[in-house]
Amino acid sequence: MKLVPITYNLRSLLVRRGPTILTVLGIAATVATVAGVLALQQGFRSLYAETGRSDLAVILRPGATSEGVSAFTREGAVRIQKSTAEFEDGPDGQPLASLECFLAVRRYRVDGGETNVPLRGVQQATFALRGDELRVIEGRNFVQGADEVIVGRSITDRIRDCHVGDVLSINVTPFKVVGIFECDGPFESEIWGDFDRMLAALERFGPNRVLAKLRPGADVAALDARLREGRETPATAATERAYLSGQTEVLSAILIFLGGFLGLVMGIAAVFTATNTMLSAIAARTYEIGILSATGFRPFPIFVSFLFESLLLGLLGGVLGALLVLPLNGLETGTTNFQTFTEVAFGFRITPTVIATAILFSLALGAIGGTLPAWRAARMKPTEALRRQ
Amino acid sequence: MDLARLVWRNLGRRKLRTTLTMASLVVAFFLLCTLRSLVTTLQSGADAASASRLIVQSAVSLFVDLPQSYQSKIATVEGIEHMSKWQWFGGYYQEPRNRFAQFAVDPEETLTIYPEMQVIDGSVEDFYANRRGVLIGEGLVEQFGWKVGDTVPILPELFPHPDGVGVAWEFQVAAVYRPTQRNFDAKMFMFHWDYFEDTVKAGSGEAPGVGTYILKLAQGVEPTSVMASVDALFENGPQRVQATSESEFQKQFVTMFGNVPFFVSTIGGGVLIAILLAVINTMLMAGREQTHDIGIMKALGFSDGDVVRVLAQQSLLICVLGGALGIGLAKLAEPGIADAVGAMFGGYEVKRGTMLFGAALTVALGVFAGFAPAWRAARLQTVDALASKD
Amino acid sequence: MTARLNARSTDPHAPPAAARGLANQTNPMGQGIDLQRVTKTYSRGGETLRVLDELDLAMEAGHFYALMGPSGSGKTTLLNLIGALDSPDSGHVVVGGEDISRLGRGELADWRAANVGFVFQGFNLIPVLSALENVSLPLALTPLSRSQRRERAEYALELVGLADRMSHRPRQLSGGQEQRCAIARAIVTDPAFLLADEPTGDLDRESADQVLELLRRLNSDLGKTILMVTHDPHAAESAQRVVQLDKGRLLGVTDRAEAAH
Repeated sequence: MKLVPITYNLRSLLVRRGPTILTVLGIAATVATVAGVLALQQGFRSLYAETGRSDLAVILRPGATSEGVSAFTREGAVRIQKSTAEFEDGPDGQPLASLECFLAVRRYRVDGGETNVPLRGVQQATFALRGDELRVIEGRNFVQGADEVIVGRSITDRIRDCHVGDVLSINVTPFKVVGIFECDGPFESEIWGDFDRMLAALERFGPNRVLAKLRPGADVAALDARLREGRETPATAATERAYLSGQTEVLSAILIFLGGFLGLVMGIAAVFTATNTMLSAIAARTYEIGILSATGFRPFPIFVSFLFESLLLGLLGGVLGALLVLPLNGLETGTTNFQTFTEVAFGFRITPTVIATAILFSLALGAIGGTLPAWRAARMKPTEALRRQ
Repeated sequence: MDLARLVWRNLGRRKLRTTLTMASLVVAFFLLCTLRSLVTTLQSGADAASASRLIVQSAVSLFVDLPQSYQSKIATVEGIEHMSKWQWFGGYYQEPRNRFAQFAVDPEETLTIYPEMQVIDGSVEDFYANRRGVLIGEGLVEQFGWKVGDTVPILPELFPHPDGVGVAWEFQVAAVYRPTQRNFDAKMFMFHWDYFEDTVKAGSGEAPGVGTYILKLAQGVEPTSVMASVDALFENGPQRVQATSESEFQKQFVTMFGNVPFFVSTIGGGVLIAILLAVINTMLMAGREQTHDIGIMKALGFSDGDVVRVLAQQSLLICVLGGALGIGLAKLAEPGIADAVGAMFGGYEVKRGTMLFGAALTVALGVFAGFAPAWRAARLQTVDALASKD
Repeated sequence: MTARLNARSTDPHAPPAAARGLANQTNPMGQGIDLQRVTKTYSRGGETLRVLDELDLAMEAGHFYALMGPSGSGKTTLLNLIGALDSPDSGHVVVGGEDISRLGRGELADWRAANVGFVFQGFNLIPVLSALENVSLPLALTPLSRSQRRERAEYALELVGLADRMSHRPRQLSGGQEQRCAIARAIVTDPAFLLADEPTGDLDRESADQVLELLRRLNSDLGKTILMVTHDPHAAESAQRVVQLDKGRLLGVTDRAEAAH
């Protein structure tokens, strides 16, 4: 079967520049909006899901969905810390396990308004567990037992009193900011200090969770089952990776829903625009279609030709839309993670998934928008088409 | 023969195109109004606030409780007429998605402090007398079909029942209130502090803390001086407090949404650009098709202004009709969307202001989209336009 | 009203065209068309084309002129200048006593509305409007009431023999009917001048004859000054005088009545 030459479509898009550009821009705006939301979701997801380690165990109180609502007595937590066979020992013979307390504290944004910032008190073992994951990039680390804190890189410029040398009050205790740290994960939005000093400042008595390094090959499911049965201090265990990906569910679901909803609704409008453009393209070329038809092109190649033209419109819009959101890559923003009620800072991430979705979406818009007009063109009778000028 | 008829006939010239463009407009304005309503709903919580109520909360964290011993100290500050302890219970009914605001409160004080709650079923006396009694908003009656006398189990997340993990707290519906003011939450669930405290104590042996103290000021008392006095009481611990007006208290939940309103506005901008391009595209096509007609009109002696009006009115008509339908649809979908997003955007409402804003936008869009073809039409030379094949 | 309409339809040749406002009363005799040293050039593809070259031409009011000449002789350009669709590069175009080469864009539009009616080869009806709506379109520029406009438009259509086609769209009419509809539109505002550009060019002989007969009647009965561009000698026979153009210059004006005698 003879196909209509592609140059015919390219030329036609070029000749009808105005509608082509407007349609491409319209599709680009749609694709960019959807891709932007998706990039946000990807940034958020990668922050949590991709940074959690599977050789670390997070121990929480049963029923607690996040560390904010988990609580242990100090004695109970220490018992788990010291006497769990699955935890690896450090070079000093002590288990590589750390008690951590966590509280979302009221802080003021630099640009006004209150927000909740995660405050974490950690024992020194935490640093041994984290190793290179956490790097102090300015100043130094806090000294054990001192009223000092280090602050995550992504909040230093967003939250008041978070630069090195600032004094940050927690309840009635002033803490000195001595360092800024960098970390691949949600911790970059946190303020860290010494576990015991934090408990004292907050008038609290026990940790929220125990974090421990697992021995290679340790069975987390078995550990979890055994801890749940614990008579004095029942607890749950999960790998950090599993725990963190669980923390993203709500916001991630919201963003995916938002992206999907926008994609659907804006997509409808974009499809209509593409249809309109193709209809007018075909109306303007009725005579040419008559010639094509009279030359011996069958209806199907004519259909394919116009559908291809519409797909091309979609693709151009998709590529432009993807290019439009590209500068967003890495741009940081903050919102509340509704699972922990704390503000997290995260960046837009233009991942291959985002680009691929954008392009596929734009092609779909072109295909759906082009079907009806292409079908109309294919159905046109050559005699009629030639008569109408 | 009025030019209005020509405008109308021209819209009917390409019925499919006009329909598709209008449908895009319907969709876009539905989306714009809905998005904007989400933002206004988020921000309207503070609107129901009363100036004579103060909230005392921890200055450290939203998640830190205050000791019960603070009550008698706060009471020493002059100008406070009523005070109630409040604690956020944070449970759900049957499934985690059935969340609403549950509070342990001092019943009589609370009803005095909040005259906005009008009891429409059961009685205030029953609520006071029944230790396990609960006062619920009529929104919950609508959602779950509860009625006075029903026993309602609530699964706790923050306060485990002393009988073990996964055991529900049981309450009995004693009274139903209806808010007398818009924006006042119609889905609150309030029960006796005493029952709450005794049950918690039976489990942990410790009395629960107080989430917030709600104060009602005497008439004519300056709220700022009371706030300062309350804050000063606990300046040196053990827990610093922060007394705020009710509206400030609500606003902290709004600011917690951080950049969400900004995102929503940006998305709205994207929608607007897309639809603007779509309408301009349609109008340019229409203008091009009507080039020949424009030539005829000019030859007949119609002025450039007449020609501009015919084209601009087509654009305006499409935009206003499509936009109005979209705005109407957003209003019509209000109950459905309110149900879907109720958990996070309580009291979702498409406000009059939003609809007016949408209406203004449709007109602006129509004028703007009509501008390009109209400009082109005005500048066309009659002879060239007549020679046009379109 | 109904009675009057009925009376008229029973006797189409009955007098009262003047009473209906379609006779030329606005322009006294003697205010014809006067072109003085009119030059018009076009540039196409970088080449300047002198379509009219210092043309001097006077045409009397109340006469029927045919404008003839080979392709590219400047016939249509001349017609467009007289109809104020276009402006000369230099020279004066005085129509009905008014020097229209001095008018601005907006004034030209007003002038066209008041003084000329156009008839085109391609009919140029607006496809989305019915015959009646097409004819009443120019009346939207007048202060007439809605019912007056309707009455006038209906009468104009009756005059061209399309009383039974008023609500048809142009596409539903034959070529001859379309052209007669266009003529009705051209005269509905009672202009002094009727300018026709190859009005029979797209028509079969029979339709063409009908149109020519109609034009003759408009000239003789209603006193319209008619200028018709044509290359068809048969069509030109309907005119009283024939203007010959070639390469933008006047070859001569022949009076057919005189020529015949």
